Amino acid sequence: MISADSGTQTRNNEQAAGNAPLYKPPRERFLEIRGSVGRNESFILGILGVVAFFGIWEICHYLTPASQQKFLPGVGQVVGKIYALILEKGYMADIGKSVYRIYVSFFVACLLAVPLGLLMGCFVKLRALINPTIGGLRYLPAASFVPLLLVYFGPTDFAKLALLFLGCVFFLIALILDNVLSVPKELIESAQTMGAKRTHIVLKVAFPAAAPQILDSMRNMIAVSWTYLVIAEIVAATDGIGAVMMRAARFLHVDIIMAGILTIGILGVLTDITFRVAARFLFPHEYTRR
Amino acid sequence: MTDPDNISTRHSALEHGRDAGEPPIRANRVTKEYIGGSIVALNDVSVDIHENQVTALIGPSGCGKTTLLRLIAGLEYPTRGNVQVYGQPISGPGPERGMVFQAYTSFPWLNVRENVEHGMKIQRIPKKEREKRAQHFLKQVHLSDFSESFPIQLSGGMKQRVAIARALAQDPQLLLLDEPFGALDAQVTWEMEEMIIEIIESENKTVILVTHDIQEAIYLADRILFFTRQPGEIKADIAMEFKQGKRFPRKEDLLVKPGYVEMEKRLYQMMREEIQGRIS
Repeated sequence: MISADSGTQTRNNEQAAGNAPLYKPPRERFLEIRGSVGRNESFILGILGVVAFFGIWEICHYLTPASQQKFLPGVGQVVGKIYALILEKGYMADIGKSVYRIYVSFFVACLLAVPLGLLMGCFVKLRALINPTIGGLRYLPAASFVPLLLVYFGPTDFAKLALLFLGCVFFLIALILDNVLSVPKELIESAQTMGAKRTHIVLKVAFPAAAPQILDSMRNMIAVSWTYLVIAEIVAATDGIGAVMMRAARFLHVDIIMAGILTIGILGVLTDITFRVAARFLFPHEYTRR
Repeated sequence: MTDPDNISTRHSALEHGRDAGEPPIRANRVTKEYIGGSIVALNDVSVDIHENQVTALIGPSGCGKTTLLRLIAGLEYPTRGNVQVYGQPISGPGPERGMVFQAYTSFPWLNVRENVEHGMKIQRIPKKEREKRAQHFLKQVHLSDFSESFPIQLSGGMKQRVAIARALAQDPQLLLLDEPFGALDAQVTWEMEEMIIEIIESENKTVILVTHDIQEAIYLADRILFFTRQPGEIKADIAMEFKQGKRFPRKEDLLVKPGYVEMEKRLYQMMREEIQGRIS
């Protein structure tokens, strides 16, 4: 008995003194159901995806016959074109104009949608009054407003802002309404048992409770706004990224068109990142951990 | 916004009722029906809740005990009859009836201290006083070290302690507890029960507790109202006389008290009658 014991001890000499050996779980497969992904790993995979996308694009470019290659320029050519446009054609001003249109129209849309969604989420009768109309308006394609806006406002900046506004405002209202409706009933009720009146409940309970989700809805909807940009700037285009692209189309300058698409993509990603960073600053309670 | 005169008149009306010997809560032939009468949660219930007592509402699931509490809170209204607080008919929720819910209701965007101060803020209590009272009640629920934490950083038991401190800080005459430990595990529930005893001893409140836990009801209550299954009626109104007016800071001290086992057995038998009634 004793000798067997001491034998075990000599064999596991190193571990006997300290902790038990680390347990090695089975290696996680790449496609593991509900597997785990570390921060670095996630970052690397993301970069890999982007590289793969541009790689496939580049391969397609080289597989295209030389005579047709101008219809599918390579990544380098498109990026170079953005650079050249900025240096030679005042492209920054177009970008600035587009960004201005997106943000102003979206800001005005939020100015209407947030209070309306909040009030509809808090007061059932208001919801019954307004929601069916909003629900219907959501199905109207924004592009179908183009002729109407041209008749009303002509080829003005206002017409473009109006189109971008119409493109997102109804969806925004519907999303924000949902965000407010998903505030737990008990939060409202506990405020009521504290003696809170209606104004307090709307502004100091329902709104802050729904705010993180509202910002998320805004982040998703501004992405939709970006997708309407080109349509908006087709309306008697003079400036903006969409205008640059439409002009290029007339001369079959595919590299400029693709430069425009890529620019919008990059600006979209930057917008998304801005919203995510804003969320971290505005709602620290959502991101604090023990 | 809130009209301070209005609040003071309402409060003084309650004080007046209290001085005139009106009970904290009186239910007058209360019936509550749902879905046009196909569910009768409460059926012609009349009962008085006594001052500075802990009254437990207990019974099988769906017996209307939570419904009665929500009527008292003013979150719902009876179909027939009426509920009064110190002789005044209840016309909605009010700060004199603080409530703790089963679900976690701490406001996630406020830290623990701000949560506790929230009810006082609604009542326009000055900052100095708010801070003092928040500190006092956070100490009482053993959360002084967490006053600057956000609810997301707290365990379920701690969140419920925030809710209890918040309800107490608004200085209610009645504390309504709606299965406050329903979502907590057994050990945390036990700790919370003993903490509630501490609070009841020091704050002297009228407490109404909804629970489905027989042991919890006996441990915390001075009086148990046992509800029948639907349609909900009061099956028994039981004073915890065997406790001889004492409350026990340690739960195990109650278990050896003569009369405890009989009380527990009696309540289990009543519960069995109600549950079996449903099965047959």
